[in-house]
Amino acid sequence: MFKILEKTPLNPTVTKMVIHAPLVAKKAQPGQFIIYRASEDGERVPLTIADYDREAGTVTIIFQIVGGSTMELNALNEGDCLADFVGPLGTPSHLDGLKKVAVVGGGVGCAIAYPIAKKLHQLGCEVHSIVGFRSKDLVILEDEFKACSDKLVMMTDDGSHGQKGVVTAPLEELIQNGENYDEVIAIGPLVMMKFVCLTTKKYGVKTTVSMNPIMIDGTGMCGGCRLTVGGETKFACVDGPDFDGHLVDFDEAMHRGAMYRDFEAHARETSCNLLHKEVK
Amino acid sequence: MPNMEPNKCPMPVQDPVLRSRNFDEVALGYTPEMAVNEAKRCLGCKHKPCQSGCPVGIDIPAFVSKVAEEDFEGAYQVLSASSALPAVCGRVCPQETQCEGKCVRGIKHESVGIGRLERFVADWHREHVTAAPALPQQNGHKVAVIGSGPSGLTAAGDLAKLGYKVTVYEALHTPGGVLVYGIPEFRLPKEIVRKEIEGLKALGVDVETDVVIGRTLTIDELFEMGNEAVFIGSGAGLPRFMGIPGESLNGVYSANEFLTRINLMKAYKPDSKTPIQRAKNVAIVGGGNVAMDAARCAKRLGAENVYIVYRRGMEELPARKEEVEHAEEEGIIFKTLSNPIEVLGDDKGYVKGLVCQEMELGEPDASGRRRPVAKEGCTFTLDVDCMVMSIGTSPNPLIRSTTPGLETDKHGCIITNGSDGLTTRTGVYAGGDAVTGAATVILAMGAGKEAAKAIDEYIRNK
Ligand SMILES: Cc1cc2nc3c(=O)[nH]c(=O)nc-3n(C[C@H](O)[C@H](O)[C@H](O)COP(=O)(O)OP(=O)(O)OC[C@H]3O[C@@H](n4cnc5c(N)ncnc54)[C@H](O)[C@@H]3O)c2cc1C
Ligand SMILES: Cc1cc2nc3c(=O)[nH]c(=O)nc-3n(C[C@H](O)[C@H](O)[C@H](O)COP(=O)(O)OP(=O)(O)OC[C@H]3O[C@@H](n4cnc5c(N)ncnc54)[C@H](O)[C@@H]3O)c2cc1C
Ligand code: SF4
Ligand code: SF4
Ligand code: FES
Repeated sequence: MFKILEKTPLNPTVTKMVIHAPLVAKKAQPGQFIIYRASEDGERVPLTIADYDREAGTVTIIFQIVGGSTMELNALNEGDCLADFVGPLGTPSHLDGLKKVAVVGGGVGCAIAYPIAKKLHQLGCEVHSIVGFRSKDLVILEDEFKACSDKLVMMTDDGSHGQKGVVTAPLEELIQNGENYDEVIAIGPLVMMKFVCLTTKKYGVKTTVSMNPIMIDGTGMCGGCRLTVGGETKFACVDGPDFDGHLVDFDEAMHRGAMYRDFEAHARETSCNLLHKEVK
Repeated sequence: MPNMEPNKCPMPVQDPVLRSRNFDEVALGYTPEMAVNEAKRCLGCKHKPCQSGCPVGIDIPAFVSKVAEEDFEGAYQVLSASSALPAVCGRVCPQETQCEGKCVRGIKHESVGIGRLERFVADWHREHVTAAPALPQQNGHKVAVIGSGPSGLTAAGDLAKLGYKVTVYEALHTPGGVLVYGIPEFRLPKEIVRKEIEGLKALGVDVETDVVIGRTLTIDELFEMGNEAVFIGSGAGLPRFMGIPGESLNGVYSANEFLTRINLMKAYKPDSKTPIQRAKNVAIVGGGNVAMDAARCAKRLGAENVYIVYRRGMEELPARKEEVEHAEEEGIIFKTLSNPIEVLGDDKGYVKGLVCQEMELGEPDASGRRRPVAKEGCTFTLDVDCMVMSIGTSPNPLIRSTTPGLETDKHGCIITNGSDGLTTRTGVYAGGDAVTGAATVILAMGAGKEAAKAIDEYIRNK
């Protein structure tokens, strides 16, 4: 069993948990993910490894409460155990040898971008982080990003914190101002990654994105996580989740991501009702 | 005096109309009277042709004669001397091409119902005998097994009986391999697999789920942890797609995804948290056991029309005969001599049709089967909203790519010396679908058995 050692809300919809999982902690690398099942009849849900401590045998996850299965996870508390916690899955991000990188994060995607920014910083790379949120209440990991970035640009859709606007604007400005990035790493909602890629393509800057399609096993067995990358079928759980953003078919990924929307809306309602019951 | 009835005692089954709406087991099993009568059809042939057709060499006349004598536990002891999973094999073995295919009663009439008797005996034992097996004397040596499908479970069981401390590592959250994530409940109740695994645990085998070898641990680390040998039984779970236009539309599944959602994640139950499309018209591409399972699952999820789209003819279907018959009874529509060429989608990205090419049979190919060739200009469109690709799988590259010195062939199958499963790495053995590509439960078990023997010899002679 995998015990929850720490639970901290980061904003009203995003929670951080530290989980005891020594085997996963021992192998974890930035860019990899785990799959958990909160209970014996729960769904298998993929989450990125936000941090790890090999000595303490712990893995940190940061998740947004979006539907039934993340609500179920969020209903657990320190001292409770997860039924399953398997990993590290996926191919680690290729970070060696990079000298100057722009890390672009959007919303909870920042939780996935943060360990990458941190690792790059440790490797001596110059890191420019551009992070975007809908509004001030939803900002997460600001101090953490500050600590590992040579430059940090904070954006909110409504301008309630940092600059007003979307992440592509400052990114384009920086590139135009002559920042010669070896690579841009963009992680966030599909639309955001799509537009970051359209922006960087104009300037010929290599761009890596982290894809999060619907997954089941996470080991390359079901093919449910398939994407079209450069005209070829790739399985995000084993070939990725990182891919060359200029080759990814984002429109296809968007319609595949919406496959079970109706079903999930129903599951969300059921979970909400259950939660209400428990509260009463 | 043997029972000279020409035909097998029929297997009681659920009514086709009823069963095509539930996930309960289709075949209900023999009563003791039926079993005894069927057993009496066996002639007790001295040269035991049937036994030579069984990949694990069960002493068939011996177990069948025990059934005829109503000594069911005695029959079980004969079975379990050769097979670790008789309740499973009795249900899913392609008997018509194995044991029963060699039965002398089958020359003029129907063969003895060996599979049905095997199932009866194993079920009888499970329901009547509760005594736990004696814990074998430990010999102080450790062995690791990767994968908990039939090959891994068999190797683990045999090694445990020899006194080894065995740990089975399984990537998924439930052990059993294809027996739990692939083959549906209505053909192989999961409770049976669970009981078999409990039996292994009672022999002292540790089963560690949620461990992906190649990621969580590597084979080298398994040796560092004190294991003296490793058996790889990781199966052939990587699904193939056809590469035709429209395969990434919503509603196109691999058979593995479709069946995993339904079986492992229980999506057929109304309260399951795992979604599955409840399609109206479904096309299943392929003609093997996997395709039959997917088709029959789709029907049970409420589809009105379920088509099997297969490029050769009815005669060439690779599925077990019984599964094809059951599928036909349940109203599955066979579109043979048809090959999909394009999936059509609507403006929201969901499947709305499947364009197929009509085929005819030409000259025999390398497999000896007549090669299907396209009938020029003859295509048709099936009106479907879901499609399941069931055209085969190959071994997952995860272990191969993380184990230096472990060689694989051009299909990604692990290379072994053929006879006892030794790979190109000392102390590392492999068997089952990971070596042969997608095959059968009983062949995987046979490979697990051979490898267990070889591992024992290797460790004793070290
Ligand atoms: C490799 C990878 C890493 C991820 N890392 C993080 C992370 O660090 N933090 C985080 O908050 N989220 C992460 N996600 C997304 C997270 O898995 C989904 O938010 C979660 O599965 C939603 O489940 P739910 O039942 O709560 O919501 P649902 O109601 O099921 O779904 C809400 C949304 O999530 C999508 N979704 C549903 N199931 C899955 C699934 N199995 N895999 C992917 N997306 C799904 C749906 O399409 C929908 O848009 C990651 C996804 C992947 C594939
Ligand atoms: C739908 C379906 C129906 C079938 N019907 C029949 C039938 O009627 N009759 C018949 O004889 N055969 C049938 N088969 C074939 C039969 O099930 C397989 O040949 C058999 O299960 C192979 O056994 P195995 O032990 O080699 O591997 P599997 O059963 O595939 O088990 C392999 C296990 O290893 C695990 N694994 C893989 N990689 C790793 C890793 N890196 N680390 C840890 N664990 C790992 C997997 O999760 C899996 O649990 C069917 C197959 C399918 C898919
Ligand atoms: S294990 Fe399979 S092949 Fe062997 S006797 Fe039983 S049913 Fe026949
Ligand atoms: S071949 Fe048939 S009749 Fe002869 S021993 Fe085997 S099962 Fe009995
Ligand atoms: S999640 Fe099943 S193959 Fe990637």
